[in-house]
Amino acid sequence: MKRDQINIGVYICHCGMNISPKVDVEAVAEFAEGLAHVRIARDYKFMCSSPGQEFIIDDIRQYGLNRIVVASCSPRMHEATFRNACETAGINRHYFQMANIREQAAWVTLDTKEATAKAMDLVAAAVARVTYHRPLESREVKVNKSILVIGGGIAGMQAAISSGNAGYQVYLIEREPSIGGHMAKFDKTFPTLDCAACIMTPKMVEVGQHESIRLFTYSEVVSVEGFVGNYSVRILKKPRFIDESKCNGCGICMEKCPIKKIPSEFNENLSFRTAIYSPFPQAVPNTPVIDPDHCRILAENKPCGACEKFCEAGAIDFNQQPEHMDITVGSIIIATGFKAFDPEPLVQYGYGIYPEVYTSLEFERLNNATGPTGGSILMKGGDFPKRVAIIHCVGSRDAQYREYCSRVCCMYSMKFAHLVREKTGAEVWEFYIDVRSPGKLYEEFYNRVQKEGVHMIRGRVAEVTDILDDPENSEDKGRLTVVAENTLTRRMLRIPVDMVILSVGLEPAEGAGDVGRMIGVSSDGNGWFTELHAKLAPVSTVIKGVFLAGCCQGPKDIPDTVAQAMGASGEAVALLSKGTVMTRAEISFIDPDLCAGCQTCVEVCVYNAIDFDEGRGIATVNELLCQGCGSCAVACPSSAASIKHFTNRQVMEELEAILI
Amino acid sequence: MYSVLKSEKGGVFAVRSLLKRLLTENMVDAVFVAAKTPYSDLPMPTLISSPENIETADPLAPVAPFNASRQASILLRSDTGKRLALVLRPCEIRALIELVKLKQCVLDPAILIGIECKGRMENALFLEQEKQRSGISISFYQDDNLKEMICSACNVCDHFQPVGTDLTLSVFGVQISTGIGVEAESETGTDILKKMGYSDVQPPAEREAELRDLQQQRLEAKSVLMEKTAEDIKDIKRFETLIANCLNCSNCRVACPVCYCKECVFVTDVFAHEPELLIRRAVKRGMIKMPTETTMFHLTRLAHIGHACVACGHCTSVCPSGIPVADFFITVGSKVQDLFDYEPGRDINEPIPYLVFEEENQ
Amino acid sequence: MNDQFEPQIIALVCNWCTYTAADLAGTSRLSYPSNVRLVRLMCTGMIDAKYIIKAFLDGADGVVIGGCHPGDCHYINGNLKATKRIYGVGKIMEQFGFEPDRLRLKWIGASEGLEFQKNMAEFIETIKQLGPSPVKSRMIL
Repeated sequence: MKRDQINIGVYICHCGMNISPKVDVEAVAEFAEGLAHVRIARDYKFMCSSPGQEFIIDDIRQYGLNRIVVASCSPRMHEATFRNACETAGINRHYFQMANIREQAAWVTLDTKEATAKAMDLVAAAVARVTYHRPLESREVKVNKSILVIGGGIAGMQAAISSGNAGYQVYLIEREPSIGGHMAKFDKTFPTLDCAACIMTPKMVEVGQHESIRLFTYSEVVSVEGFVGNYSVRILKKPRFIDESKCNGCGICMEKCPIKKIPSEFNENLSFRTAIYSPFPQAVPNTPVIDPDHCRILAENKPCGACEKFCEAGAIDFNQQPEHMDITVGSIIIATGFKAFDPEPLVQYGYGIYPEVYTSLEFERLNNATGPTGGSILMKGGDFPKRVAIIHCVGSRDAQYREYCSRVCCMYSMKFAHLVREKTGAEVWEFYIDVRSPGKLYEEFYNRVQKEGVHMIRGRVAEVTDILDDPENSEDKGRLTVVAENTLTRRMLRIPVDMVILSVGLEPAEGAGDVGRMIGVSSDGNGWFTELHAKLAPVSTVIKGVFLAGCCQGPKDIPDTVAQAMGASGEAVALLSKGTVMTRAEISFIDPDLCAGCQTCVEVCVYNAIDFDEGRGIATVNELLCQGCGSCAVACPSSAASIKHFTNRQVMEELEAILI
Repeated sequence: MYSVLKSEKGGVFAVRSLLKRLLTENMVDAVFVAAKTPYSDLPMPTLISSPENIETADPLAPVAPFNASRQASILLRSDTGKRLALVLRPCEIRALIELVKLKQCVLDPAILIGIECKGRMENALFLEQEKQRSGISISFYQDDNLKEMICSACNVCDHFQPVGTDLTLSVFGVQISTGIGVEAESETGTDILKKMGYSDVQPPAEREAELRDLQQQRLEAKSVLMEKTAEDIKDIKRFETLIANCLNCSNCRVACPVCYCKECVFVTDVFAHEPELLIRRAVKRGMIKMPTETTMFHLTRLAHIGHACVACGHCTSVCPSGIPVADFFITVGSKVQDLFDYEPGRDINEPIPYLVFEEENQ
Repeated sequence: MNDQFEPQIIALVCNWCTYTAADLAGTSRLSYPSNVRLVRLMCTGMIDAKYIIKAFLDGADGVVIGGCHPGDCHYINGNLKATKRIYGVGKIMEQFGFEPDRLRLKWIGASEGLEFQKNMAEFIETIKQLGPSPVKSRMIL
């Protein structure tokens, strides 16, 4: 029996001057011509250019080529380009293989001879492999035209609004009782000193009233299955113990609740809330929740029911149970945000030891009109501070904690300095490593704050202590001393202050890792989600149809967050508006004649993409779920399972061509 | 629960009467046991449903033409609702448990009757001995000369006591000419013995000492064999000398109870080399032996099932070239098993090592 | 030690991390000895024991497997699945005289071009110290 005639065309690219001086491209072409099944081998200046592609197309037609090898750059760069050319010329796009002689030979090898020899090996491997390529097809699948947004901070809200405005059904999930996230806690925003609430609350209301946005607060995503265009999502709706359809948000329940001494999470534990509570007055939705850990009835099973008694709407329901909701979406936007670094481990700064040491978030609440002091910057004793220190980079730029710069702390620290000056007239010292103010009007704000008389001291604080230099000085009584070196003047400083603000860095939100694992999005060593490409695909992820918005991808300020949220929304909308997606071609295939039914593959598949057909006693692949990772192929001892385009044969022929 | 099954004709007769009662008292629908066919002295795995045919059963004969777990797994492919008693050796049960893990069969319909095994002879040797003196099923347990004749894998086997059974037929500390011991290892087993009216007695005093002695003897022999084999394979040249006469006949793979693939990857197109490739190899290397892939075959088989090797030794027994396949499977297999702290057939719930992943793995 | 000895190294690398790191090493012009030949796979989890065995039997002096850091696998845990198999194969090859150092598993993330360069150079040096693969001296079978 005669095998199908295999005619391979090999093209060696000069890549301008990138490959050709280092690799002797003519020698490589000549070498390629001598390889089995190679019909034609050429070299050309730019294979990826239009004439370069035309070359391939013409040759395919003229010489009846049915396999193509291009030796040029990384397949991550131009594989798709050449596959398209193959298709244009009428051969299957998988009858193509690329040899990466630029990144792997020309650019990394010093010696010309060695680079050429390596290029030849890589070409031989590609030729051997392409000989055993099989034609593969993908097919078009309809997508579900709705979008899931996880996280209801400013990033998630903006992504939801933008997507909703495009006419897509959006499901916005927030685990807290209200949307708003961190931004809702701020009073002013840098550098313009806009009132955060003034720009934030209309957006919150817009989300709450948007006809295309379905809001699930006090809810969490518990499972995500499926694939681009068709994700099945299960949402856990925690019981509020209040019937949302009846509650009119009058707030009488909160007034009457006898349990009043629960530290308020929203106010960073600087004030108290009741057991039935709404985190803050502008909360959306305006429906309170009952905290089951503190409510007399729910936590202690003791008689109470004050809220129930006074609720005219009859909205209180102590029997509410957790509910599961199942939705299907075509795309997912992750916007899980950040959490502030906990400075307690940095004992030298005295947080948790001295009452007048605050984190930046605590200070935000102290300064906020809806905060515990009604917006007056007061110390615990009720006096205005006269001397305030602000310490930058707490937890950030610190090899022991977080190596990265948290990007927003310099700017918000200067905002704090301005606000302290403005509201209290206190003297302010800022201790910084470097001031980072790259942003529109940011440097100008830095200059302004300096002009306002804030002392900027370059030096990392060594210690905050209650031991005074001069205990006899009655003015300093009860003050803290900030010990630091001014590295510009090389002088040690000991500055007595009334209040210390720690400008803590940003960390990924609690539970972000779980969300990532559920969806399959990976994170970097710090826990920030990894974008598909740092520069060219900053809102995409490795999972098709899943996008990132805001701080979950890395620390960001509000303008960048909003821009990224709009970007993520744009990508999601672009994906869904076409209405269909193509299935992968390079996926698992289980040969029914070889399958022994051991189901080892079923066990190793993390995508639940393999089903066991009890009737036939064999495993079958769901081509929409399969991602082509190859776990099944390796686990299957009889090679019944294989990954199309990465078969044993193809890989082993490649190895053989390199080694023998 | 330990009982003694007495028979003045010897242990085999005691076992037969137990099996017969299982059938006559409708405790099982059929018995799977090694039995002599009318045509040969070599006991083959048989499926017996008529009580009279139990007379041919000879599970104590020191021979096993092949590892019966494969045949057992065919019977246990699915739960038919029929109850089956299976009389198996320890290595057969261990292989069967591996096959259950690989979903090749189920144990629901099975009553497992394990035999305490002192080893098996190669088929030809057994037939020769059986011809010389009939009744080897008894004399084997009495004549120390015969014990020397067991095959090399059995000689280093320290799994001579079956695990995971319902009933275990016990030959240690027992005068096999007067009967056999039986120990219930599960509730099912205890029920059977109670129903049959056997009473719980103390196992013979010599039993523990005999087990201990054999254990020690076997472990010593095993370490000698492993040391020698390690030396024989310690570099690829030596190993290739050891397997130089391999014919690529795949007998070892066919005989292997845990090689369960429907079609071995070595007969698929993965290794169906094109003539160009073979010629290229010859040109580059000067010469190649054909068929190729001999070393590849053995190493790949080790990688596939080294962790699951139950050391039954049938691969060696069937090799036409006399290659000690089991020796290097035992030696290398135990290294892999140690690495993963895995013991094939130890526990039906012990997961196959390649299917569990630690989150942090250095 | 033979100064003339230039080892043949096979690198089985995953598309998402180590292959990308190799690309980055290229883009950044981080040169390393030319002994390494990369074979691109989608995930270390698709590395069949046969590939490693074949590479060694066909004369590779060293095999390096490069994948994503634990937790970063594009396919969730393919790299962890690979780890176990590779240890298993390594243990087997060791019995036949292939020193454990000839098989290396290394997590090199997509952004670690420098790590890629360093690791390749260092691995080649290790193999040079070990000398040619035992396969090289055998009769051709």
